[in-house]
Amino acid sequence: MISMAPDMSNKKSSIIDLNNLQEQQIALRIQNLNLFYAEKQALENITMNIPKGQVTAFIGPSGCGKSTLLRCINRMNDLVDTCKIDGQILLHSQNIYDKSVDVASLRRKVGMVFQRPNPFPKSIYENVVYGLRLQGVSDRRVLDEVVENALRNAALWNEVKDRLHDSALGLSGGQQQRLVIARAIAIEPEVLLLDEPTSALDPISTLTIEELITELKNKYTVVIVTHNMQQAARVSDQTAFMYMGQLIEHADTNTLFTTPSKKKTEDYITGRYG
Amino acid sequence: MSRTSDNALKTESTRLLKDKVAKYGVTAGGIMVLCALLLIFFYLLYIVKPVFNAAEIEPITNIEKLTQTYASVAVEEQNEIAFALTEKGLIDFYALTGDKAGQLILSENIPETSEITAFDASAPQKGLYGYINDQSELLITKPDFRVTFPNDKRQLMPYMSYPFGESAIPLDTESLFTINSFSFATDEESIGLIHQHSDSKVFFTKLEGEEDMFTEEIEWTSSSTELTQVNGNILHTLVSPDLSRAFIITTNQLYVFNTRDSSDVSLLYNVNLIAKLNSNIKVTAANLLAGANSVIVGFSNGVLEQWFETNSDQGRDFVKVRQFELSGEAKGSAVQAIYPEFYRRTFLATTESGHINLFHTTSEAELWQGKLADGKIDSLAFSPRSNAVISIANDTLNISKVENEHPEVTWSGLWQEVWYEGYPEADYVWQSSSASDDFESKFSLVPISFGTLKAAMYAMLFAVPIGLSAAIYTAYFMAPNVRKFVKPTVEIMEALPTVILGFLAGLWLAPVIEEHLPGVVLLLILLPISILLTAFAWHNLPQKIKNAVPQGWDSIVLLPVVVIVSYVSFGLSPLVEEWLFDGNTRLYITNELGITFDQRNSLIVGIAMGFAVIPTIFSIAEDAVFSVPKTLSNGSLALGATQWQTLVKVVLLTASPGIFSAVMMGLGRAVGETMIVLMATGNTPIMDWSIFEGMRTLSANIAVEMPESEVGSSHYRILFLAAFVLFIFTFVVNTIAEFVRQRLREKYSSL
Repeated sequence: MISMAPDMSNKKSSIIDLNNLQEQQIALRIQNLNLFYAEKQALENITMNIPKGQVTAFIGPSGCGKSTLLRCINRMNDLVDTCKIDGQILLHSQNIYDKSVDVASLRRKVGMVFQRPNPFPKSIYENVVYGLRLQGVSDRRVLDEVVENALRNAALWNEVKDRLHDSALGLSGGQQQRLVIARAIAIEPEVLLLDEPTSALDPISTLTIEELITELKNKYTVVIVTHNMQQAARVSDQTAFMYMGQLIEHADTNTLFTTPSKKKTEDYITGRYG
Repeated sequence: MSRTSDNALKTESTRLLKDKVAKYGVTAGGIMVLCALLLIFFYLLYIVKPVFNAAEIEPITNIEKLTQTYASVAVEEQNEIAFALTEKGLIDFYALTGDKAGQLILSENIPETSEITAFDASAPQKGLYGYINDQSELLITKPDFRVTFPNDKRQLMPYMSYPFGESAIPLDTESLFTINSFSFATDEESIGLIHQHSDSKVFFTKLEGEEDMFTEEIEWTSSSTELTQVNGNILHTLVSPDLSRAFIITTNQLYVFNTRDSSDVSLLYNVNLIAKLNSNIKVTAANLLAGANSVIVGFSNGVLEQWFETNSDQGRDFVKVRQFELSGEAKGSAVQAIYPEFYRRTFLATTESGHINLFHTTSEAELWQGKLADGKIDSLAFSPRSNAVISIANDTLNISKVENEHPEVTWSGLWQEVWYEGYPEADYVWQSSSASDDFESKFSLVPISFGTLKAAMYAMLFAVPIGLSAAIYTAYFMAPNVRKFVKPTVEIMEALPTVILGFLAGLWLAPVIEEHLPGVVLLLILLPISILLTAFAWHNLPQKIKNAVPQGWDSIVLLPVVVIVSYVSFGLSPLVEEWLFDGNTRLYITNELGITFDQRNSLIVGIAMGFAVIPTIFSIAEDAVFSVPKTLSNGSLALGATQWQTLVKVVLLTASPGIFSAVMMGLGRAVGETMIVLMATGNTPIMDWSIFEGMRTLSANIAVEMPESEVGSSHYRILFLAAFVLFIFTFVVNTIAEFVRQRLREKYSSL
């Protein structure tokens, strides 16, 4: 893991000054976020802005809290009984931890894709329209259109268009993961959270997904947690390095990988630990 | 170096050995389980199979060149000695086995009387023979046998006995004409006769004997009635063994008289046996079946009809129930005579050419047809055990072996409606035994199979909603630290002996529910409502109060609610009873609604057996729901689904194979359950879906009747058949469950 030669060719257009973001450029504002699992503090005073229409990668060694932070963004941590959170995360200047926020509608705006592909034991078609059906959409034409768009956007349409009504479980791992992404984007979220989306996939599927992520940022704000620094370098515009529950450094990917400002970051990206 | 490699090899070989042993051990175990199952299966079949065997009649011995012309023939119980009677009072005994086989061993005459004019044999069961002389005096004799053991060898000695005295009993009739023919029946101390005189007049006479206290002589009083209603040529007269009915059959009519009261003999029924007038068809033979409820009438065209008296709400009637037809060579020829068996509803019909057809009425089956000898059969009789038939034709006495163990059982009789004697219509009835020997067994598996399904249905109605919702709640919503206690607790309920459940249900629950029926109904309505209300109220309570209850234990709040609601429901019970049901629900249901109410009814069974089935359903369904991958429910939640939507649309769908098999396993258990249904129902084999009536299930039926059934009898074999049906039933249910589960699992296999 010493040879670090991130491919920066596709980043030139989208470099943004993170310290000088304008209000409309910010998708999410995380402010003084602390998270405890029972007595143990998992996140310490995280403050960061996630820019709109960009891919932000969270990197860091195992157990550093990057997945926990990601799960805070759509409140998946609510499912853990012992989890306590203070601080705020603002989406459209609305704190998502406010009492008045409906978790289900929050998750509609902030979609999430998990490590392992988790298609439902239904047909491909039903998987994609699942989120819409939850909202009560049942117009066949609308659904058909959404399915085609979502699958096209997830680069899966050509592979499955002839077997939309076959079980989704018959797809390969990579196809399943793209289906899950299609399912997430079918309800047109603003933010898409990807929690190590390629860790269970083979290299070729990984490549497809990475290409897909690059496409997706045109429409959505993407936050990706990855274990793989090359991947972070390949797909992200911004990278946040976390260590022991703290946000060490958050910068545009190019800067972070070439001229990290913190010692810990440099040690990590050059493979001293992790 | 070599040592280490040796060691490595050695370990390798022990490992291989262990692997081999494990492999063959497991295979052997599996095969043995399979073999045991197959053995049960084939053993049941082995016991059941004879029930469906065809009847066989096979000649064994002949005694040729008889010198007398006999009017009646019969054989002793062991088929060792046969005897034949002439019309003039001579009785000859022939040995059939032993050294003297085929020889005449005793020939005896009845005591001297004047000229004998008429002879008749009673129903075969009684073994009595009657003679009437020209003085209208009756003498009844009974050939009997005495067992002695000279030199420790069993010896059977025939002798003549006279159960009604050796002197003839005079009949007081007004007629001066001699009696040409008669028929009779007897009970303990009276004799009933129908006798026809040479002037064609018919009388019914009842002789009643009374013992003189001092002389010990029997005084006979006789009362006689002329049966003037009878027209036409009398073919056959019959008296039922209880002397309550007299039948007279002419060539086209059947008369039934009520003779219960000898001073008031009345005509009950008069039916036309020949429907079409001017038809060539005539009645040619008639006889009473064993039990004397049915009359079998034979016609000149080879048709036989069974008639009996039915008793329905519309009153009594004498009806034709079913008909048979001679088959084979005998097809279309006239029925010459009809011979019933001693105890069962089997009878033989003969034709002039000596052809024999064997029928059974209940099963509506023709069992056998063929010939035992050429030419007309003069006389024929079944042996008392129905395992032989003795006949005289062409001065030859023939003994034939009969193999006809289970004539009353046919596949259709077991599963279709059968018209039993005395019933107003064909019906499904299970009534396997009664006090009398000549009882018509009613073996319909339909009511008990129905009972099995009914019990299982009510149990499932109770257990499935509770078991499944408990399983879903425990697996999906309950806090892990609570689940840790709840799951094993419910599962341990399965170990509760069902006999205790049955005992509690029958002796404690049934009377409680009977007494507090409105309370139970009230509870069924109030409990779900109050639970929902409590949940809603709890949800809206301030966080502070909620925090008083430890994490995950909030369902404990329901306990006092359940207790209070139960207490209130039962407390309100008398008030509701007073207000709606005139103070007594049971009477109200029985009288006002007209519904039969048994104390031990389906409601009790549903609750008790449901209680027994809940752990099975709960345990399997809980595992199924719990094992749905968290990634799936998270995936659904991340798409903006609520917990409820996730549960319904993803979790239950994915757990459906397990849930299905949980329900099927529960059903399998409910179908096979014995002790609870045995103790908590009245075991009444009725067919009624009513929740207030009991039932009898296949398993309970086996448990109740197996100890008292005679080994090898039809009853015994049918109980095994019931076991077989039960076996197939549970086998099919479990196989379907497993099959569906496999299919569904395949569908969701890549999870």
